[in-house]
Amino acid sequence: MSLSIYNARLLDPATGLDEVGAIFVDRGKIREVSKGQTKPHADAKVSMDAGSLCLAPGLVDLRVKTGEPGDEQKETLATASRSAVAGGITSFVVMPDTRPVIDDVALVRFIADRAKASAAARIYPAGALTTGLKGEAMAEIGLMSKAGAVAFSNGDLPVANASILKRAMAYAASLGATIISRPDERTLAGSGAMNSGELAGRMGLSGIPVEAEWIGAMRDTALAEATGCTLILDQVSTPRTIAIAQAARGRGAKVFTTAAAHSFFFNERDVGDYLTYCKVNPPFRSEETRLGLIDALKRGEIDAVVSAHDPQPPEEKRLPFGEAAFGAAGLETVLPAMLSLVHDGPLSLLEALAPITCRPADMLGLPQGRLAANTPADLILFDPGKPWLCEREHLRSRSTNSPFDGRRLQGRVLRTFVGGEEVFTHESIA
Amino acid sequence: MTRAAYHYSFDHEHLLSIEGLSPLDITHILDLADSYAEATRAGIRPDPVLKGKVVVNLFFENSTRTMSSFEIAARRLGADVISMPVAASSVKKGETLIDTAMTLNAMRPDALIVRHSASGGPKLLSRKVDCAVINAGDGTHQHPTQGLLDTLTIRRTKGHIEGLKVVICGDIAHSRVARSTTQALHLMGAEVHLCAPRTLLPSGTETWGAASATTDFDKALKGADIVMMLRLQLERMDGAFLPSRREYFRFFGLTQERLALAKPDATVMHPGPMNRGIEIESAIADGDRSVITEQVEMGVAVREAVLHLLAGGRT
Repeated sequence: MSLSIYNARLLDPATGLDEVGAIFVDRGKIREVSKGQTKPHADAKVSMDAGSLCLAPGLVDLRVKTGEPGDEQKETLATASRSAVAGGITSFVVMPDTRPVIDDVALVRFIADRAKASAAARIYPAGALTTGLKGEAMAEIGLMSKAGAVAFSNGDLPVANASILKRAMAYAASLGATIISRPDERTLAGSGAMNSGELAGRMGLSGIPVEAEWIGAMRDTALAEATGCTLILDQVSTPRTIAIAQAARGRGAKVFTTAAAHSFFFNERDVGDYLTYCKVNPPFRSEETRLGLIDALKRGEIDAVVSAHDPQPPEEKRLPFGEAAFGAAGLETVLPAMLSLVHDGPLSLLEALAPITCRPADMLGLPQGRLAANTPADLILFDPGKPWLCEREHLRSRSTNSPFDGRRLQGRVLRTFVGGEEVFTHESIA
Repeated sequence: MTRAAYHYSFDHEHLLSIEGLSPLDITHILDLADSYAEATRAGIRPDPVLKGKVVVNLFFENSTRTMSSFEIAARRLGADVISMPVAASSVKKGETLIDTAMTLNAMRPDALIVRHSASGGPKLLSRKVDCAVINAGDGTHQHPTQGLLDTLTIRRTKGHIEGLKVVICGDIAHSRVARSTTQALHLMGAEVHLCAPRTLLPSGTETWGAASATTDFDKALKGADIVMMLRLQLERMDGAFLPSRREYFRFFGLTQERLALAKPDATVMHPGPMNRGIEIESAIADGDRSVITEQVEMGVAVREAVLHLLAGGRT
C-alpha cells in the first residue's frame, strides 16, 4: 500500500532538515522525501494532510524492560509495544533480565518470534553478557548475535568481577558485538534507595552516592579502551560520568553514553513524601546535576536518551520507600520529557529528536531513525505544543508506575507508523 | 485600644514527624503534657478523654519500652488499647504493611501507633487509613514523641529551652531520635550541636536545625547545658563503622572527666536503652545530673498529650 503524508513540518535530525514537505511511502519504506511539497503524491493510494504538524522518524529506544517471559503480570512485549507506539517509539531494545534470563539462542529467538507475532513496534533483544546474569561465566555472545541479539548487557546488575568483564569485552570486540553496561559500583551503592546527600540523610534513607557511578564508569571505560570493545554506558546520571566517557573517547575508545529521559525532568526533591514512583536507579539527582545533564545533552555529549521503561505493578511499589522496587514506566513520556527541554529549555526540536532517533539507531547500525529514501517507514506525526495531563490510569502499559503521574506535559503523538502501517492513532483524531 | 482576639487550635491529623509542627504546636503539646505529668505525680486520675476510643499499637519492630509507654498513656486517658507486635505475626506470612493497615482500618480504630523499620512507613500507612497515625519510630527517619519528651524534660529541668546549648553525641547517622530531637529543640530556640565519628555523621545536618556538626566531642562539650548520649548499636563498633568499642569509648564515651568540660550544672540525657561503659559511664547514668528516668516519665506524659490532641476529638 502506498501512502502520502503532505503539508507536514518534516523533522530529520540526521540531516538537519526542518521544513514543510511531504513523504511518500510504499511497501513499508520511505520512497521520497519532498521538501516544500504541500500536495499529495500522485501515486499514493492513501493521502494524508498533516496540517503543518511535525513529521519525524519514529523513536528508537535502547532500554526497555518488560515482564516477558516470566513476569507477564508486569508487562508483555505486546503491551509494552502498544505503550511504545502511543509514545512515538517504533523500535526498542529489550533487556535480558527476565525469568528466565535471555542468555541463549533459543531465548533470543523466543523474544524475536513473540515480538513478531504480538508486538506493534520493532523489538530487538539484548542478550545476557553472562550466563544467568550471574557475572561468572560468559554467555554465548557469538551465537546470540547470529540469532538477532543487537547488544549484550548484564542488565541492572553490572558484572562485579573486572577480570570476567574484561574477557567478555575482549571476546565481544572480536565479534564486533556491543556491550551495554550500567556503571555502578555495587559495593558502594549498596542498599541505597535515593540520591545520597542532605535530603536522604534527613529522610532517613540510605543513599546511592554519585561516586558509585563514577567508579563504575572509570572501570568500564578503562576496560573498553584496553579491549577495543564498543561500550554503551547505560543511563548515566551525572555530568562527570559523561566527562569520563568523553575523555576515553578522546583517546580513541568506542564509548557511548545514554541517559534516561526522566533524569532531565526530575530531581531528588521530587521523591517528596517517599513517593515510590520516583524510586529509580540511577536515582533522581540534585537540581545542579540535572541542569548539568541538560547542558551535556545540549553539547551533544549524551549519545542517546532512553525511556528506561521498567514496569512495576502496585504490589512492588505500594511499600515503604526503602523496600519498594526501583523502576519507572516511561515509554509514553520520552517525547514530552524531551519536548520540555524545547519549550522550557535550551534545545531546538532537532536537538531534542537526535538522541531519540538517528543517534541510537546509528549506535546499533539500524537503518531507521531518519527520513531517508529506502529506509523503513517508521514515522510519527506529532503536535509539539499540545498540552495534556499525564494520568497513570490512561497510560497504556500494563504497569503504570510513572513519576509523571499528575504532571502537565506538552507534546503528543497523534499518529505512529511502523513499516508504513498506522499502528497508533490518538483518540482526539481517531 | 482593642487587642486582636488570639485563637489557637492544634490542627494536625497525624503526628509523623517534628517537621511540620510550629513552635506554638510544640508549646501546646508540652503544656498539656506538663499538666498530665503533674497530675500523675499528684496521684490524680486525669479526665478519661479517650473513653470509648480504640487505640492500636502496631509495632513492626520490637520495642518493649515505647510500646508500654504508649499503652500506659492511652489507658490513663480511658482508651481501649490493643497492642500488636506484628513483627511476629502476619508480616511473616507475606502480608504487606498496607494490607495490615487496611485490615486494621476496617476495624475502625481511633488512633494507630506505628513503629516500622522502614523510613516513611507510617507516612505510607497514613495515606491509606482514616484515623490518626502516630509515628512511634520509622527506620532512621523520625521518632517525634521522643523529640517532644526530650524537649519537655529539658524545659522542666532548666525552666526554659531558648538559648541552651545542647550536645547530642553518638550514632547520629542511624538515629531517628537525633533527627526528631534536633528539630524540636531547634524550633524551640536551643542551639544543638551534633557530635559523632565521621562515619556516623551525615552531611546536611544544618537542614535539621543543627548549629554545628563535629567529630571533636571535647570541643563540643565546652559550655554545654545538656549532654545527650545516643545508643550505638554494638555491631556498628566492630570494624564496619568504627575500629573497636574501646576506641569509641576513648573518643566518644561520656566520662566524669569529660563531663567536667560542660557547664557545672550540665544535665545528662539518654533515650535508652543504654550501653553502660561504652557510650556512658554507669556513675554518670545513675548520678544526680542524669535525668534519664525523668525522660521515661515524660514519655508517658507527652504520649498522653499527643493521644489527647489527635484521638480525643476536637474541642
